[in-house]
Amino acid sequence: MNSLTLINILLTIIIYMGARKLAHRFPSPFTIPILTTTIIMICIFHFSGISYDAYTPAKEWITALLGPATVALAVPLYKNKDIIKQKLMPAIVGLIIGTLSSIVSAVWLSRAFHLSENIQAASAVKAVTTPVAIETVQIIGGDPTLAAALVVASGLFGAIFGPALLTMMNISEPFSRGLSIGTVSHAIGTSQIMGEGPIQGGVSSVAMGAAAIITPVILSVLYQFL
Amino acid sequence: MKHTLMFFVQLFFLYAIYQVSNYIVRFLDIPLPASVLGMILLYILLRNGTVQLRYIEVAASFLLKHLSLFFIPIAIGLMDYGGLIKTSGIQLFVMIAASSFIGLFVTGGFTQFLSTKKVQKEENYHEQSHSH
Repeated sequence: MNSLTLINILLTIIIYMGARKLAHRFPSPFTIPILTTTIIMICIFHFSGISYDAYTPAKEWITALLGPATVALAVPLYKNKDIIKQKLMPAIVGLIIGTLSSIVSAVWLSRAFHLSENIQAASAVKAVTTPVAIETVQIIGGDPTLAAALVVASGLFGAIFGPALLTMMNISEPFSRGLSIGTVSHAIGTSQIMGEGPIQGGVSSVAMGAAAIITPVILSVLYQFL
Repeated sequence: MKHTLMFFVQLFFLYAIYQVSNYIVRFLDIPLPASVLGMILLYILLRNGTVQLRYIEVAASFLLKHLSLFFIPIAIGLMDYGGLIKTSGIQLFVMIAASSFIGLFVTGGFTQFLSTKKVQKEENYHEQSHSH
């Protein structure tokens, strides 16, 4: 590991720790650490002229924990197994119809805005977790890098606005809140709703996994007809 | 000291599950991310009692507490999309916002409606059985 990589890793962690303090002090959707840390880091890179490529080694060190962290989502899932079993049917119906509606609306809106075919394809996979999005977008003929960017952007949107939107729509029951966040804004949304309560976190991680399973199936059949 | 050691042993165990899933996904060519398969595997191990919660809980709760940290380097990647954001940023934002709104509303609405309806039915049933 060279010194720039080490500095980048430490910088990310220190700013993240500061961002957590800030979020604790001023709780708001706009102070969530993933948002504030990302903005500060982009500003630092922009003004110091460091490219994203130069940050890649640091990125690989930090994201190495993403795999085991996702595996660890089995813990809240296990702790909430009874409530999931009890609400299995409503959950499956909500998940399938919800996934369909978010795919169809994203593709049709992109087309209505005359966005490129590449963006239309990427918008279809924006609700699933990055590795699945990258593989699925290639099945329907889109660009993986662009898909990854849209996945992150919509995850951030869900993390920032999702909980408030759900409250606005009178969706107050913890199980349904977790399920919709996981379905629409994958792991980034899950990392946020986890703070709302263990049921929300557990259910959100299940929904994220389930959406990752059904989205490629839906798209490989449906995309040509959209 | 003992606590730190336990943390790293547990972290290693979670990492090992992830790596095993990686091999399975590649070997069997399953169209699923290794991490999601790993989550399913760990769940099965917890369910059948092979793994107990206390074997993994220290590392798991640490990782979940800081889950959003691990996504930050990926989110920083948006810095390379300045050009696209300048040309079609507003359209992209509206598309993401509207379709997320629709997705949340449909998923949450259906689930909440169906599950509370079911609970009410059960409550009615209990009330009836009491009155008999």
